[in-house]
Amino acid sequence: MKQQYDVIIIGSGVVGSAIARELTRYEFKIGVLEKELDVVCETSGRNSGVIHAGFNNKPGSLMAKFCVEGCLGFDKVAKELDIPFKRIGKLVTGFTDEDMEILKKLKEQGDKNGVPGLRIISEEEIKKIDPNVAGKVALYSPMTGIVNPFIYTIALAENAYQNGAVFFFGREVVAIQRKEECYEVTTKNNEKYYAKWLINSAGLNSDQIARMVGITDYTIYPCRGEYFILDQKASAYLKVPAYPVPNKKEGGLGVHLTPTIDGNVLIGPSAEYLDEKDNYAATKEVMDKLVAEGTKILPQIKREHFIRNFSGIRPKLVEKETGGYADFVIEQREEIPNMINLIGIESPGLTSAVPIARYVVEKMKQKEELKENQNFNPIRKGILNFTEQTDERKAELIKENPNYGEIICRCESITKQEILEAIHNPLGVETVTGVKNRTRAMMGRCQGGYCQTRIAELIIQEKQKKVEEVIYSRQQGKMFVGGVR
Amino acid sequence: MNIIKKDAVILGGGPAGLAAALKLKEKGIDNIIILEREKKTGGILRQCIHDGFGIVRFKEALSGPEYADRFVQEVQRQNIEVQTEATVIGLTNDKIVTAATKEGLKKYQAKVVILTMGCRERTRGAISIPGTRPAGVYTAGVAQSYINLKNIMIGKKVVILGSGDIGLIMARRLTLEGAEVLAVIEKQPYPSGLPRNIEQCLNDYNIPLYLSHTVTNIQGKERLESVTVSKVDEKGQAIEGTEKEYNCDTLILSVGLIPENELSLQAGVELHPRTKGPIVDENLQTNVEGIYAAGNVLHVHDLVDFVSIEGEKLAESAAKYIKGEKGYESIIPVTTDHTINNVVPQKISGEQDVEISLRVSKPSKDGQIIMQQGNKVIMMKKFKKLNPAEMIHIKLKKEEIQSKEEIKVVVG
Amino acid sequence: MKREFTCIVCPNSCELVAEIEGKEIKSIEGALCKRGDEYVVQEIKDPKRTIATSVKVIDGEIPLASVRTTKPIPKDKIFEVMEEIKKVKVQAPVQINQVIIENVLNLGSDIIITKSVGIQKCIERVNKEVVAS
Repeated sequence: MKQQYDVIIIGSGVVGSAIARELTRYEFKIGVLEKELDVVCETSGRNSGVIHAGFNNKPGSLMAKFCVEGCLGFDKVAKELDIPFKRIGKLVTGFTDEDMEILKKLKEQGDKNGVPGLRIISEEEIKKIDPNVAGKVALYSPMTGIVNPFIYTIALAENAYQNGAVFFFGREVVAIQRKEECYEVTTKNNEKYYAKWLINSAGLNSDQIARMVGITDYTIYPCRGEYFILDQKASAYLKVPAYPVPNKKEGGLGVHLTPTIDGNVLIGPSAEYLDEKDNYAATKEVMDKLVAEGTKILPQIKREHFIRNFSGIRPKLVEKETGGYADFVIEQREEIPNMINLIGIESPGLTSAVPIARYVVEKMKQKEELKENQNFNPIRKGILNFTEQTDERKAELIKENPNYGEIICRCESITKQEILEAIHNPLGVETVTGVKNRTRAMMGRCQGGYCQTRIAELIIQEKQKKVEEVIYSRQQGKMFVGGVR
Repeated sequence: MNIIKKDAVILGGGPAGLAAALKLKEKGIDNIIILEREKKTGGILRQCIHDGFGIVRFKEALSGPEYADRFVQEVQRQNIEVQTEATVIGLTNDKIVTAATKEGLKKYQAKVVILTMGCRERTRGAISIPGTRPAGVYTAGVAQSYINLKNIMIGKKVVILGSGDIGLIMARRLTLEGAEVLAVIEKQPYPSGLPRNIEQCLNDYNIPLYLSHTVTNIQGKERLESVTVSKVDEKGQAIEGTEKEYNCDTLILSVGLIPENELSLQAGVELHPRTKGPIVDENLQTNVEGIYAAGNVLHVHDLVDFVSIEGEKLAESAAKYIKGEKGYESIIPVTTDHTINNVVPQKISGEQDVEISLRVSKPSKDGQIIMQQGNKVIMMKKFKKLNPAEMIHIKLKKEEIQSKEEIKVVVG
Repeated sequence: MKREFTCIVCPNSCELVAEIEGKEIKSIEGALCKRGDEYVVQEIKDPKRTIATSVKVIDGEIPLASVRTTKPIPKDKIFEVMEEIKKVKVQAPVQINQVIIENVLNLGSDIIITKSVGIQKCIERVNKEVVAS
């Protein structure tokens, strides 16, 4: 079968998925090619999960514009997609007069960008907002929110899927050719996909994709950030994200503490430029540093609270020597028709995804009249979280469906029904981490010690798989070698 | 919601819970229920298919499932109510237990709640091994469950970090099933498992044990490809230049067990920082009246035989409580210093003989355990060898206790 | 000649020292009980071990039943006995203590089931229907 589409999107991170969803508002046949086995395997799933207010970005930049738009519009998106979102506010704390000056400038910048409600507050007020956060002075941003980046990206992709977009996983693009008003996209497994429009939202690899169509002037500099995840017990000590005054040179927001929407606390990220784009290793040096800095900001944290570490890689357009941020690149070149390039979509990409997607559509509208899809439905239903329900509701749920009465993941109280829904996810993702990212199972303090065997077993049963076909996360990442008997 | 009244609700049908239930029944307490999250009772013993269980209690070497079965059968014979596939999701300090089951959400009001939830394994995150996160890194108990319960083989070339008993048992188990176990790596200068397991699980199969070594990096983007092992100094810090790389597809972590006390915390049960289990008195009662704890949820045991004994001991005092008999008040704190890792119970009455369980922090030969009140030594027991892998049980007689002053237990 | 042993009979794990001359054991020291002395004698003359593993259960509610040797077998026969056990498949239900191999390889030990396994019920299928609807 010839894979013919109107639009092919390369990359199914938060931006690619948001574009796919935004495009399903129009009558398009959309294909999404993803090299990994799920959405959110890379940058989109490996970050602090913060919906930024938009005061960190230069006035007039796309970053500033989209970040503010994204933040202000997030309630609507969250409601449509049935994802948890909390505007918990954020503190950027300082100690010195110098810090005070930086904070004032940040506020000024934020005001210019149109961020509502920014205030410089005193130590006393800091203590009122969060008694455990240290600082003599702070910039308080009431609009900043937190979201689960996995669920958000998955929800965008699922809604796109519901509205007709098709997702292909394990399809790494290796060549692109323009043939008769059409793009021919070849994947590593030697499949060919054809489309009139091509959208490059390949994140870390967007420079390589651009090169395949002859755009050679971008280089992505991968910059790794490592995190520690703390036990939910640590969340008792932190109400709002607490950031230090930003260090311009580092090109990150500095090691900070962020409560997650699921009740954990993150410490990180570090910032370290790498040569490789998929080296998600954690290093001893950074891990030690995060423990030291984290416990400095919140002395209540104990070693036993550190349950896991992970790292993400920022697709930066600036080199280490330059530092700071370059603006998002979202362009359509005359000499390369019907192709939109999105390059250097780093922080605040998660916040900006929907406005970026709209902007991409606007660019397409300049070239082509788009016909609205009358059947577009913006509403997506997430997996119901059993543990958040009242006892009465829990009882009802079990009565309706006994699978709710079987707790599979003890630490996070995830039921069999939730696991089954995750295994049968609309996108057809079959990995163990796919279940994890959709349900939080295996994310708790025992890290799957109790439930991983059960989940693997359910995947085998439900998907009629052989034992040796179960994949942990990435291609070839086989969990098992076979049966014992 | 209908609330079911029970004299005792037992959280967990492993060896401690089963033993406690049987003893309660023997003491005439009939209105009890065991809540078990698995399809069958027996707890972790179901996956411990090796033998060596029951030598103390039954004077024969049984496998884990056989040991469990003796209790399971007896519980059945005694018609003790067991609800399997029931996960307790709520526990309050006034002893209301909420459990999710396939038949519905169930609530119990208990006179006594018995905590016998066992323990969980420490994970990679808890020991912070740097490196990537490929498939092929398993804790020993998870590996054991895959191989012994699920019929799933996890790898072919294996390195094991940690010389705890489950790690050693798994070294042998994997070897028997055709995997190649390259090495067992232990950070301490001494093994954490029992010497007999070093002998019959490692030495028998020529599996090398590297003491004062640890895994310092994990490589592999998809499936595990190799681990780096380094020597460590006295402080446990990796020594640069001593790195050795092992090509392997599997890393097994056997780096310790932590009592599983999330439910206990919900009810306001106070935990001890060393045992990570509840602080209990000589009746094995926690700080919350009517809530008792025994087995691995209280402190991690080396032998299941003593878990059963502890469960029974708990049930004896819980039965008295249910019958309204007033016990002695435990007002004498039992403390220790750096020479002892942990001690249970943490407070006693001084009005009756008690058994003190403890683990030393370091191995030594010809040592002695001393109990003192103030400067006065009230009890002294000599040991040919002291090993942190072994839990020591010492009887302290009522007559030996001199006053209501704190009792300090140390290695002399 | 002195030889050291760690007794594996019980968790005490006694450290034993035997004085050996040629084939004769002159003395054994360090055992807390007589089983330690017996262990050393056997360990020198004909070391034996028990083994535990699993067999496949057809139509079982769980896929494996655990098994063990009833008596220790010579240490150098462990893998041969493993091969014998691997050949066995049993039909559910199986009972604890059920002999699945009598006198394995004529070594004087039986292989017995150590975990009863019942017949698989059709629960899983019911669950699937619930999901589908």
